Amino acid sequence: MSKGGMLSQMKDGYRGLRSDLEEPDVSEIELKKKRFRLIVLFGAFMSVVAFLISISISSGGVIPLSDAVSALFSSIAKAIDGDTNLDMIELYVYNARLPRTIAAIAVGAGLSIAGCMYQAIIRNPLVDPYITGVSSGAGCLAIAATAIGFSVPFLVDNSLYIIPFMAIVGGIIAFLITMTVAEGSGGASINYILAGTIVGFAFASVQTIFMSMGKDNLTDIMWWLYGSFANVTWENAWIVFIPVIGISVIAMVWAREFNLYSMGEDQAAQLGLNVKRFKRVTMIVASVLTSLCVAFCGIIGFVGLVVPHACRMALGSDHRLIMPASIVIGAMLMLFADLVARTVLSPAELPVGAITALIGTPVFAYMLMKRGRNYDG
Amino acid sequence: MTDDAPVLRIRGLVKDFDGFRALNGIDLEFGKGLLIGLIGPNGCGKSTMMKCISRTHPQTEGTIEVDGKDVSAMKPAEVAKMVANVPAEAGQTFGMSVMDMVMLGRYPFVDRIWWEDPEDERIAKEALRTFGIYHLRRKQVALCSSGERQRALIAKAYVQEPKLMLVDEPTSHLDMKYKLQVMEYLQKMARADMTVMVAEHDISLMARYCDLCVIMKKGEVVAVGDPKEIITEQLIRDVYEVEARVGLDADGEIYVLPKRYIEDDP
Repeated sequence: MSKGGMLSQMKDGYRGLRSDLEEPDVSEIELKKKRFRLIVLFGAFMSVVAFLISISISSGGVIPLSDAVSALFSSIAKAIDGDTNLDMIELYVYNARLPRTIAAIAVGAGLSIAGCMYQAIIRNPLVDPYITGVSSGAGCLAIAATAIGFSVPFLVDNSLYIIPFMAIVGGIIAFLITMTVAEGSGGASINYILAGTIVGFAFASVQTIFMSMGKDNLTDIMWWLYGSFANVTWENAWIVFIPVIGISVIAMVWAREFNLYSMGEDQAAQLGLNVKRFKRVTMIVASVLTSLCVAFCGIIGFVGLVVPHACRMALGSDHRLIMPASIVIGAMLMLFADLVARTVLSPAELPVGAITALIGTPVFAYMLMKRGRNYDG
Repeated sequence: MTDDAPVLRIRGLVKDFDGFRALNGIDLEFGKGLLIGLIGPNGCGKSTMMKCISRTHPQTEGTIEVDGKDVSAMKPAEVAKMVANVPAEAGQTFGMSVMDMVMLGRYPFVDRIWWEDPEDERIAKEALRTFGIYHLRRKQVALCSSGERQRALIAKAYVQEPKLMLVDEPTSHLDMKYKLQVMEYLQKMARADMTVMVAEHDISLMARYCDLCVIMKKGEVVAVGDPKEIITEQLIRDVYEVEARVGLDADGEIYVLPKRYIEDDP
């Protein structure tokens, strides 16, 4: 029997509600598509605004917006032509502001998406991108490189990349150990949380030992431990921006699978998802994403935990909306936090990780009070 | 596939977990349009058998055919188009709306990467209306009552358009009214040619609504047949180790009234 026939047979038993009959039949998919378009448009508009503000304001003062924009275009044109003769504003906008701004956008978006992925896979609202020990692993090797001069032969002469390289290696090693322990103990979400926690503790302990061994160099690494974009230049900005934004956008392809996973592993498997493979692949992708983010800019907390929750509270549970919104909100929060970090106590810089929490906490607390009662996150 | 072929055929099904044999040589065969009650004490293998049928757990030995096709030889997405599964509880749903949850049932049918087709939405909405929860479609699943959640879970399985629906303890959290309501929905689905297998502890409820009952104990099937014929005081004593009164009420419906449990031998 066709499904239509089956449904019409079953409908005989249902009398219907007046509210069903009076309400116009609006397409839920079309509504979602509209909201998605709105997020993209809002994100594009706000990103441009935040971008322009970011390149106009500095510790030295405010450059008029028109000057900043014209310096931006002229410096890019000169860079394309290979002309290195930049004036003061062009130098400032192109060399100081622009790489830092695009790195902040990438790291904000990347950490938010990684947090969103982890929360969906591990199905725990307290999960953040550092849950699998990535930050401790990255911190451990980054500090080994800085504090005690530990290095690898082919990178000895290139100090610009040594900390990021070691951080990526450390983050990925920590994740692989976490995954091995978690899968060896059954592979359930709680196994990942527990394994990540103990691996994180182990690496944090080694990190503390390295710090005590190389305490003369501690000031060099404090920026990294608390998170900062101060050391971002053109040389490393692209290394953060292209893969992080690329991976973040590619991860959105799995939005429907993340929705499925929200129902639990058994239900997702029963609906045709290869749960084991999906979990492994997405965990690896999220961990690589997190490692890339922390490698150049240090450990920036709060964003990866709270931005996905804020988006979920505002937009519901559908990852087709939460993921693009997380990219937009994460990027803007990070841009704004970096702006505050470098201007408030100028010329001194504040750790951006502290600012993200200071800005985000009241906003999130307000959302929690408004919507938390009905939030199942 | 002919109309007479069984919807479900299980031959020699064995499932082991780390040395523990959860299912021990199950043989079953059912046609279409039946409501089948799966009855047995906790740990007797009801849920494990359902998970093997829906391919969530691979079987250790034996074959499971749904509509003539061996499920272990099929891709998970193909199985999901034939077998749907209704869990006892929705669990944590991360703020998911009723509509979103029901639409997930269309996952095996959607070829596009992101958005479902209008046809998928039409089927989901029709299921919401059928199960009387259309007006709740934008409500969070977590904020629905247990009865509403159960209907939403059944609607999600229903939009998978399965040949066989497996329902695990659907009434365990429900009051009397919703218990009856859920059983009537399941019965209607069976009358509309879908085969529905329900695992439940309420034997009276199963006996009243099901066309057939399968009684399990320690991973084996101990009886299959018309509930009025197979559910006896002796069977309840053997399977549950409980003294019970089994009888027919004034309407001729079977009832099972547990009286006392039989002490284990020391």
